[in-house]
Amino acid sequence: MMGWIAVLCCVLSLAAASSVAQVSPYRAPRTADGKPNLSGIWQALNTADWDLEGHAAAAGPVASLGAVFAKPPGLGVVEGDQIPYLPAMAAKRKNNQANWTNLDPEVKCYLPGVPRATYLPYPFQIVQSQNNVLISYEYAGAVRIINMGAPTKAPADSWMGWSNGHWEGETLVVDVTSQMEDTWFDRSGNFHSSALHVVERYTPRTADTMDYEATIEDPNVFSRPWKISMPLYRRVEKNVRLLEFKCPEFTEELLYGPLRKKD
Amino acid sequence: MKYRSLASVVAFTAVVAASMLMQTPAAAQAPAAKATPAKTVPAAKAWTAPLLPNGTPDLQGVWTNNTVTDLERPKALAGKEFYTEAELKDLQKQERQRLYVTETEGQPPANHSGVEGAGADDVHYDFSQFGLDRAQAKLAWSRRTSIIVGPEGTIPPLTPDARQRLAEIRAKTKGHEFDGPEMLPLGARCIARVNVVPVLPAAYNSNLQIVQGDGYVAIETEEIHDVRVIPTDGRPHIPGNIRQWYGDPVGHWEGKTLVVDTTNFTELSPFRGAQNLHVIERFTRVDQDTILYQFTVEDPGMWTKAWSGELPITKIDGQIYEYACHEANYGLADTLRGARVAEAEAAKNSAK
Amino acid sequence: MMKLILIGGLLLAAAAPAWAHHGFAAEFDQTRPLKLKGTVTKWEVTNPHSWIHIDVKGDDGKVVGWMIEGGSPNNLYRLGLTKDSLPIGSEIVVDGYQAKDRSAKAVGKSVTFSDGKRLFLGLPGPESEPDKK
Repeated sequence: MMGWIAVLCCVLSLAAASSVAQVSPYRAPRTADGKPNLSGIWQALNTADWDLEGHAAAAGPVASLGAVFAKPPGLGVVEGDQIPYLPAMAAKRKNNQANWTNLDPEVKCYLPGVPRATYLPYPFQIVQSQNNVLISYEYAGAVRIINMGAPTKAPADSWMGWSNGHWEGETLVVDVTSQMEDTWFDRSGNFHSSALHVVERYTPRTADTMDYEATIEDPNVFSRPWKISMPLYRRVEKNVRLLEFKCPEFTEELLYGPLRKKD
Repeated sequence: MKYRSLASVVAFTAVVAASMLMQTPAAAQAPAAKATPAKTVPAAKAWTAPLLPNGTPDLQGVWTNNTVTDLERPKALAGKEFYTEAELKDLQKQERQRLYVTETEGQPPANHSGVEGAGADDVHYDFSQFGLDRAQAKLAWSRRTSIIVGPEGTIPPLTPDARQRLAEIRAKTKGHEFDGPEMLPLGARCIARVNVVPVLPAAYNSNLQIVQGDGYVAIETEEIHDVRVIPTDGRPHIPGNIRQWYGDPVGHWEGKTLVVDTTNFTELSPFRGAQNLHVIERFTRVDQDTILYQFTVEDPGMWTKAWSGELPITKIDGQIYEYACHEANYGLADTLRGARVAEAEAAKNSAK
Repeated sequence: MMKLILIGGLLLAAAAPAWAHHGFAAEFDQTRPLKLKGTVTKWEVTNPHSWIHIDVKGDDGKVVGWMIEGGSPNNLYRLGLTKDSLPIGSEIVVDGYQAKDRSAKAVGKSVTFSDGKRLFLGLPGPESEPDKK
């Protein structure tokens, strides 16, 4: 009798394990070198860039823009709903939130880092080849090239980090390290240190959607690793392409206006 | 080398000339210097162009177009389109010698003011300390005396319209070069550089990485991390009223050659004054380590005729690194602040 | 002065960067040369220029933090160096020019360790060759 139970438990736990690892049974079309084909133009469709955690609507920071730039509501993309800050770090987030228009690097058109680049309200394009996966982001012309060969190490920190990738069945797994500590996760002051370590998982879900997960680890700021997840949607318009959003130009008045010659 | 389909006799001639040129192997400038073969014969080579698993030619890798060759032919070399093999070897030796002098005696003063015609100054960090002297990176050698091809080797004359436009821009700018950020060069503002389209050499970090996916060729230029994602599936250009710094590229394959057609440039493009720039580029891998890059630039409102250039792009062992630019562009603020201080001092002195 | 080297009738211009992206003389003052000795507190490995932060002790004993402009680090990485190639606490000597805005910023025309050894790339590299004459 105990033998049957043992076998049953074993079978059930195997089934459970495989259903956790493989959210959907969808099998994407293959590239010529036999890998799931993630090529295309994609975009997140949520308010994660406003605030990763669930949030109600709120007035925006510029009164004259009224409803046009008010904070929209969102269910949140954090598994477990709350980001697990260390108690000592809560005050810094509060200060960031209170002063976000002065402090948020997105306002200055600084490169967004990972994972924020994925869920900014602009499309991005995946160009997939055997040894490299290039992701071009419309925002600020940000780009990163994911090394699909033997993992390599970064010589220094960078804004978009250092990405080493590999395939796990249907999923592209990307390990991102060496990011500048200056990036934020969203417009609500969620931040990290230079110890940030991100692991992304891109899994095709249907022909035109993809599941995106990112596990975030930073022992200087958070009490444990935490995860965000969201679907990504393929931009299916005819002749669609990324356009230029070279925003440094749009920040010049903000950054350099006070240094302008006065008449 | 055979090319299955060529658009025009002109292109064919250029390719034949280039294939003869390409027999001058790129002299390796990296620490592990390779011996330069004295002579190579095209017919003896058994090289076949690599193809991707999906059958398209493989242009992928990390490349450089770092060169000693100027865009326009120096006046002293008028009429001379090519160096001989012996002259090229001399050039290479002189380049190594120049680097040695720079490393031991320091670099010579040059015009760093950004103002054309200004005298030499000394106000610059030493390039060779940071590995930024062009000879400290692999050079893509060419027997050409200028990037621009043809008997003249220079940019054609401006149209009268363009001459007037540029004169007006110059008049507006004179004396106001540092009034505000919009007066500074696009490169200083980290908005756009001249080394992206066409793929002209940059002073340093003159590298690019090519990644090809189904229906697209992506070219990332190291400075300023600019990526062109070029569709090769025949989709049309974007609407004419949408203008971009680097325009809108569409590509297609002609045999082993990637042909890229770019339109929709803004009128404030790095070729300042050009209002309707049209750039046609051809990328052909001619051996394992070399892409032959050819381009034609035209704008009937700017130049009296189209002009074309050609340069080799050679493989490098290293990789490109992030060149973030805007994020740490202290120089822009410092330049404006410096101008304000100079103005205040001038005002104080004249008030005395 | 710009040297044009004549090689059997050919010309090879000295390699001032042809497409320099902005005017350095707009940022730094040729009439204010300086020599600084200080301890490295940080090396900002940024583009378009890197910046070495040093603490300089004045004759009055006061310590002033200076920022010294250097080159893009990207080719140093290709040549095998990393952000750790300039250790915090290193003593360096800067020969350069002060910023036009009179702040504690300078461009380091030449930067050496206190023993005289050039920073980053020692002399001369394998790509160059000594004069055989």
